[in-house]
Amino acid sequence: MSEPILKLNNLCTVFHTARGRFTAVDGVNLELFPGEVLGLVGESGSGKSVTLRSILRLVRPPGRVSGEVRWRGRNLLSLSEPQMRQVRGGEISMIFQEPMTALNPVLPVGEQIAETLREHTELSGNALRQRAIELLELVGIPSPKERLRDYPHQFSGGMRQRVMIAIALASNPKLLLADEPTTALDVTIQDQILKLLLRLKDTLGMSVILVTHDLGVVAQTCERVAVMYAGRIVEVAPAAELFAQPRHAYTLGLLNSVPGAGSTRRPLIPIPGAPPDLTALPPGCSFAPRCAFATDECTAQRPPLMDISGPESPAVRLTACIHHDALSAAGEVTR
Amino acid sequence: MAAPALLTVKPRARRRLKPSLVAGLVIIGAFVLMALFPQVIAPYSPTAFDYQAVLQGPTAKHLFGTDNFGRDVFSRVVWGAQLDMQIALFTTLFPFLFGTLIGALTGYYGRWADAIFGRVVDIVVTFPFLVLVIAIVAVLGPGLKNMYIAVSAVGWITYGRLIRAEIRGQKRAEYALAGQVMGYTPARIIFRHLLPNAITPAIVYWMTDMALGILLGSSLGYLGLGAQPPTAEWGVLIADGKNFLATAWWISTFPGLAITLAGVGFSLLGDGLADLLRPRG
Amino acid sequence: MSQTILRVEGLSKVFPVSYSVVERVQGRPRRAVRALTEVNLEVRRGETLGIVGESGCGKSTLARCLVRLYDVDSGRIVYDGLEVSGLRGAALRQYNRRVQMVFQDPFSSLNPRMTVGQTLREAILVHRLRKPEQVPGRIRELLELVGLPADAENRLPHEFSGGQRQRIGIARALSVEPETLIADELVSALDVSVQAQVVNLLLKLQEQLHLTVLFVAHDLRLVRHLSHRVAVMYLGRIVELAETERLFTAPAHPYTQALLRAAPELDPSRKSVVEAVKGELPSPLNPPTGCPFHPRCPQAFERCSKEVPALLPRGPEGRWVACHLLEATP
Repeated sequence: MSEPILKLNNLCTVFHTARGRFTAVDGVNLELFPGEVLGLVGESGSGKSVTLRSILRLVRPPGRVSGEVRWRGRNLLSLSEPQMRQVRGGEISMIFQEPMTALNPVLPVGEQIAETLREHTELSGNALRQRAIELLELVGIPSPKERLRDYPHQFSGGMRQRVMIAIALASNPKLLLADEPTTALDVTIQDQILKLLLRLKDTLGMSVILVTHDLGVVAQTCERVAVMYAGRIVEVAPAAELFAQPRHAYTLGLLNSVPGAGSTRRPLIPIPGAPPDLTALPPGCSFAPRCAFATDECTAQRPPLMDISGPESPAVRLTACIHHDALSAAGEVTR
Repeated sequence: MAAPALLTVKPRARRRLKPSLVAGLVIIGAFVLMALFPQVIAPYSPTAFDYQAVLQGPTAKHLFGTDNFGRDVFSRVVWGAQLDMQIALFTTLFPFLFGTLIGALTGYYGRWADAIFGRVVDIVVTFPFLVLVIAIVAVLGPGLKNMYIAVSAVGWITYGRLIRAEIRGQKRAEYALAGQVMGYTPARIIFRHLLPNAITPAIVYWMTDMALGILLGSSLGYLGLGAQPPTAEWGVLIADGKNFLATAWWISTFPGLAITLAGVGFSLLGDGLADLLRPRG
Repeated sequence: MSQTILRVEGLSKVFPVSYSVVERVQGRPRRAVRALTEVNLEVRRGETLGIVGESGCGKSTLARCLVRLYDVDSGRIVYDGLEVSGLRGAALRQYNRRVQMVFQDPFSSLNPRMTVGQTLREAILVHRLRKPEQVPGRIRELLELVGLPADAENRLPHEFSGGQRQRIGIARALSVEPETLIADELVSALDVSVQAQVVNLLLKLQEQLHLTVLFVAHDLRLVRHLSHRVAVMYLGRIVELAETERLFTAPAHPYTQALLRAAPELDPSRKSVVEAVKGELPSPLNPPTGCPFHPRCPQAFERCSKEVPALLPRGPEGRWVACHLLEATP
């Protein structure tokens, strides 16, 4: 495999609040390769969205980001704010779950695309307008020329998400960060948007980090997956291998708790309890209190992310589960 | 099947009292004590003339000085607290209760009840509050009782609007719908479920309104339309001293300060209550 | 099992949209959202009927009409021989005791100022289901039934997690000993790992208490897992109704087919690159003529844009489909 274009080294995001100090992102190490779609999955509070925001330094006080974000030879965390603005919405773009709050409600969408084009390209006048129409066409908005003058509220939820993607693509980014881009959408529209993202990724040669809680979305869109739990990455694997044979007890539990075809009205296998409070994490492996495989070793100290790639597998597999061998023996995915 | 393990409940969070609540309680508490036991706190009778000590400045003997009849200003301010606290309560209690009731009913039922209420509000808000009250008092005649009637006739509107807006928001919440599906009567849903969740702004406003009530009572007292001299009422006290402002500033100044302090106290109390009554979650 | 407990006939519900003075002056027609159009449905005693569809399909409106949170514009709802659509006052409250609802939002569906015990006590006492001295025992019983610790009784909703709050909502519904439970997006606000806990609880309770359940949801996997039969809705109408496995393995209506194709599968080896269906959901303010799905349907022909297909039985296995394509092959 080629060199990674993005590398997160010991990324930490800590919030100091009245309720106490909590670590939303806790020592995340992650690599992203050119042209790949990496899924970042986890449940609420797992730190997946904060990780994404931390890459672009979009975390507001009382949050503080530390560690290293290596992007094309530079550490984004040590850039000045003007330099960072060139990266943000330039080389790296981001799309959000709720386009209605990310778009300016009182500006026509054509104007919002033009704004980004002026900021990040040399285009002006008619060429700029032409490019805006092209972008709307690219994301599949019918009669783009007429729709330039429309305001965000005149678009449906799916079309709004397309507009936001068009704005994100205006600067020809090399990396697209997508934060739950289809969570607010209906399933047939979600399907359209995901397929659109994959098509655009191929034609424009971007890499994508897709944050989602939906395992189905991951299975259908991502080549590689990183699973997060309580602010830490617990497993990294190619999507096919992760779904076939999870090597972390949490991933296994997650897959088992989703109903599969043909098991109608049989009890599911839930993960007991609820995700931990980030201000009071259990010692050692954060998942240990809910884990059927947990032993004293798990609570003694925090297990590191270990490389368990076998000789037969060319792709890197990482897990932070001490009992990853026991998993493959005891707990096949019950689908 | 056994209940899943680890069904622990989140620990209870302790809540600290806000400083504004404590300060408000201390100030208003002091005034309430004065109102309840003026004979204990005031060193002199509020109406006893003493021609030996006319227009004396503040001294150890007369803390706030004396007026042109030799009456002790401190004692008059203390006795005034009794009347002004009474005014604060009586100008606002009926508006609070009645406005809350009307606001809750119109907010819940909407439609024609709401339409009628809306028109009444439109009519009342077009008149300036004070002018309207003065007009009513002018018709009924001066005096405290008529002032209460006048203020109540107008004041409930604000509470009604506050509660109506809150109830309209709350009745769409799923717990209110759940109440309907549980087969509860509208009265139970309104008074047991919606109102406790809707009343906070009205209570907070009530505190401010008590301060406004004192101001209004004092203003009317000053104008001769409220409490009648020689009754010790802060507005009347200020009016008493208005001819002596240049020579004996203390006669008007100390009751004025009392009004200000009471206003600040009620505001702090309202602010602190708003925080205390906010549902946790 | 096959006895019908709830029958819905020709149910329609329209929500008027606010009509501004400007629109009135311009002479524009008054607009309205057609939330439900001519819905027919039968629910059998003891079954779980899944109702599935995308936003604006009317599934939540249907659920709310059934518990009479909304008044019905036309059509009938007959529950166990009782005409429900015109019930008022005490008779309606008595009906609601028998047909209960669990809501979607774990945060707003509980009164934030009442403890769990107060919430349950109120329900039990209002309907006089226990003598006052028996209430504490019944509360403990209910808490145990839904898998909450006994010390939950004296706590306020904000002290619980989302999954626990949904359990409280279920306990509240069960406190009045209903026969039918309508669950509107019961677990959609919960994390996946917690969803499974609540789904298991629902399965257990249904077996234990012989409940009839209407499971309204947008999540196809969950609906498939829980339901005996499934109704698919699109733009205020039921377009297909069938036994769960038949519907999922061999969907008949083009919309059902598209919906199933669009739902992301958990198997990465079964990826597709083409969209399951093109186009947007039409606005219920301005629904298309004829079949509501025809503008997006790849197989639509002339008749589809003119005539609304009726929901008719297709095949011997109790499948109902509303599609002109199938009319040729009964």
